[in-house]
Amino acid sequence: MRPALAALIATLCLAAQAQAADLTVRLKNAAGQPIADAVVTVKPAAGLPSGPIRFDWPLRMSQQNIAFHPFVLIAPVGATVAFPNFDKVRHHVYSFSPAKKFELKLYGNDETRSVVFDKPGVVALGCNIHDQMLAFIRVVDTPYAAKTDASGLAVIRGLPSGAATATIWQPYLRAPKNEMSRPVSVTPAGASLNLTAEVRPPAPMKM
Amino acid sequence: MFTRLRTKLTVLYAGLFGLALLLIASAVYLAIASNAERQVRGELQASGTVFDRVWALRSQQLRDNADLISKDFGFRAAVATRDAATVRSALDNLKGRVGLETAFLVDMDGNVTGLDAARLDAGVEALWSALDAQDGASGVLMIGGQPYQAISAPVMAPTLTGWVVFATRLDAAQMRSLEQLSAIPLTARVLIRKPDSHWTSGRDTARVDAFVAGRSNAPGELDLSSGAALALAKPLPSLGAASPAVLLLQYPLATAMAPYRPLLITIGVTGLLGILLLIAGSWVLARSLTRPISALDKAVRRLQRGEEADVAIETQDEIGRLAGSFNSMAAEIRERERHITHLALHDSETGLPNRVSLDRGLETLCQSSRRTVFVAALGLDRFQIVRGAIGYELAARLIAEVGGRMMRQHPDRPIGRLSSGILALAFEASSLEDARAFAAALLGDLEQPVTLDGSTVDVSLTIGLAPHADQGAPAIDRASIAVDQARAGHQKIGLFDAQAYGDPASNLSLTSEMMSGLKDGQLFLHHQPKFDLRSRRIGGVEVLARWKHPERGMIRPDLFIGMAEETGHIRPLTEWALTQAIADQARLREAGHALTVSVNLSGRLMSDPDLAQAAIDQIRAAQADICFEITETAVMDNPAVALGIIDAFAANGIGVSIDDYGSGVSSLAYLKQIKANELKIDKAFVSTMADSRRDALLVKSTIDLAHSLGLKVTAEGIETPEVLAMLTGMGCDLAQGYLIAKPMPLAELIGFLDSETAPVARPRRKRA
Repeated sequence: MRPALAALIATLCLAAQAQAADLTVRLKNAAGQPIADAVVTVKPAAGLPSGPIRFDWPLRMSQQNIAFHPFVLIAPVGATVAFPNFDKVRHHVYSFSPAKKFELKLYGNDETRSVVFDKPGVVALGCNIHDQMLAFIRVVDTPYAAKTDASGLAVIRGLPSGAATATIWQPYLRAPKNEMSRPVSVTPAGASLNLTAEVRPPAPMKM
Repeated sequence: MFTRLRTKLTVLYAGLFGLALLLIASAVYLAIASNAERQVRGELQASGTVFDRVWALRSQQLRDNADLISKDFGFRAAVATRDAATVRSALDNLKGRVGLETAFLVDMDGNVTGLDAARLDAGVEALWSALDAQDGASGVLMIGGQPYQAISAPVMAPTLTGWVVFATRLDAAQMRSLEQLSAIPLTARVLIRKPDSHWTSGRDTARVDAFVAGRSNAPGELDLSSGAALALAKPLPSLGAASPAVLLLQYPLATAMAPYRPLLITIGVTGLLGILLLIAGSWVLARSLTRPISALDKAVRRLQRGEEADVAIETQDEIGRLAGSFNSMAAEIRERERHITHLALHDSETGLPNRVSLDRGLETLCQSSRRTVFVAALGLDRFQIVRGAIGYELAARLIAEVGGRMMRQHPDRPIGRLSSGILALAFEASSLEDARAFAAALLGDLEQPVTLDGSTVDVSLTIGLAPHADQGAPAIDRASIAVDQARAGHQKIGLFDAQAYGDPASNLSLTSEMMSGLKDGQLFLHHQPKFDLRSRRIGGVEVLARWKHPERGMIRPDLFIGMAEETGHIRPLTEWALTQAIADQARLREAGHALTVSVNLSGRLMSDPDLAQAAIDQIRAAQADICFEITETAVMDNPAVALGIIDAFAANGIGVSIDDYGSGVSSLAYLKQIKANELKIDKAFVSTMADSRRDALLVKSTIDLAHSLGLKVTAEGIETPEVLAMLTGMGCDLAQGYLIAKPMPLAELIGFLDSETAPVARPRRKRA
């Protein structure tokens, strides 16, 4: 029932947006290796469409095998993200990020907590019990957002033609605030952006 | 170098021991030094390792504390929310809890919380870079000019939000505690390179710089102004690029050697004592070795001086045996010496003391006596005859008996046998009369017949007396001569007559003077003409040697010729005379006077065929007309040789004249054998023939005898015209004498011959 509803909504949106196009982003490092888990957000110069933002992935940050899943989650502003715990141990999820400070104190197996992210920005998630657990939630205020997959490829669909600004963020990207912006020109045929960036090694979680 | 064996041995031993000791001491010192150094090196190395451990341990401790806070949820929350006040208080809280000096937070933006960022010597940026570059960076951090051991721990909230830095001061107390961990009292210092790139300041800067620059993990030698030290420089990790730090562990070598000093002193003192003991010991040993040698040395010198030289035998070793041998040798030498002395002082034939013994006794007597000392020489009369009669052995016993008798009667007086038939006795007398009286008494005592093998032999003595005098011939010699003089005077006792004896020594010197005189032309020839009674002219000359001594004047020919005969110098004299005669004859011939020249040939030379042959050669070479005058007795000594020489003369046309015929022993047998041309009648007959009819008859018969043997006759010593007339009447052929002419030098002879109306003619003419 729910997927059918979502498909319906998307169709409606596409119908509303005439001459929509796709932006394909390929992110690699200097060595040509793909960079995954980078969040690409695009803001058209013409402005964002009004209305609530919907993404076709679940807004859920689960904990399984002493790790967060997914590593990077894109959530729209104002969304409520669920934090289900599939582990047999308890977790103490917290964030000190300015975008959203919160603390989900010790909840057990099959318990779900949810948090509302009301400000755009980056929220770093940690577990006070398991130091190695780390995840990020990118709270965005644009519907045009996508995450690079293992091959470093992200596709943003339904962009209006015209000028726009693409912003790429990755937790370890070597750049101020771990993000970089590029202007893009979207044509009805779509657009592609091939970027090269460097990421620093993941922060040490040992000890 | 050392004249004494003892010193030599002592020095040798002490030197060898000292050398050995020195070697041992050097070896010990080197061993100790290298051991000490090795030990110190090991200790330094160990201390270095300990320091590493301590460093790591402290780092770990700091890190544990840092982790404690960096993982604290509240702290992380404070950091993440930039709650500086909370962070500061949390850090202070922890500092107080774990006793930490410094703890601060550096966030990702380079903000420092908990420390005044200005106190970071290297600045915040350098620290930030260091923290960012390495996860959990740690090392030496300079804060306010002081070195700190610092560690860092990241604050994950949950991403990296900053670093907690914990630091503890590397102060003197820390170093002391590190030093105390070492087994040896080493010094630990943390050196920080200063902005001027020196590691220290002060005098040792350059050395320390060099040492740190060339640091390795092994300890090395560091030469400091305070003395050499072994040191180890360990680089320390540095937090922040600037100010590298080293830990310098050092240990003075002198301190390393200090524990061994008592040992070295002990060795030195022991060695010194050993040397002293050895010197004393070698001295004693050497003395015990050399004392017998010194004793022997002294004994040898005593032996040399003729003193008693026995050595005490103290040991049974080689030296003892040497001493024994020396003693027996010395005894043998003394015995031999006694024997030799006895032989030297005694007559081996009779056992009586000899002349040497008498000389010694006489000398002793003269020294002790205040009266005149006389020597009485007792000559056994007719001793040769007695000896011929009874044989040598009995004659010796006879002398021994007389001598023994004298010794028994005068045991205290020196006695000696002077020659085969002469004994002598020295005695003291107040006057000459006393001496004569003593001699007379001696005669009386000794002239007792001696019984030899049952036969009695009479003893007749002649005594010669001579007083001892400090000058002139020895009294013993003079007494011996006095015996001859007494016998000549037919006396039983005679005193030495110096005048009668003359001066034989000066005669001997005359001989050598004659030899030099021959060369210097002091000797020359006189020529005495021979007058030919038939042709009434000078028919020849006899050459006679003359010597004009530069100091003594004319020397009598019989003196120097007789002396030359006795001393064996007649041959050179004769050769000289012959040479001179030949030369003179040549000069006469040049002056127009051809004369036979007669040269006297000594009987001594008639047994010398070499001389004869040389004379013949010389005469033949000069084609001289020489006649040798030879006495008849000269032939008798060695008739075979003498007659041979005369035959040789005859064969070479050299005339021979029998000289002095009638004065000696004339033998008709020889007269017959001598191939002479002439016979010269001795002047003893000629000079007296005018007064003695018997002499005249002898001369007449001799002339006849000679003529009948085919010899010409020359009469010598014609001094009066009467004699000349008688000889002429007797048919004598030649006349020679002062009446005819004296011997004269050649120049005078030439003048004489030139006025050929000879002076002899005048008396003859007068007489006629």
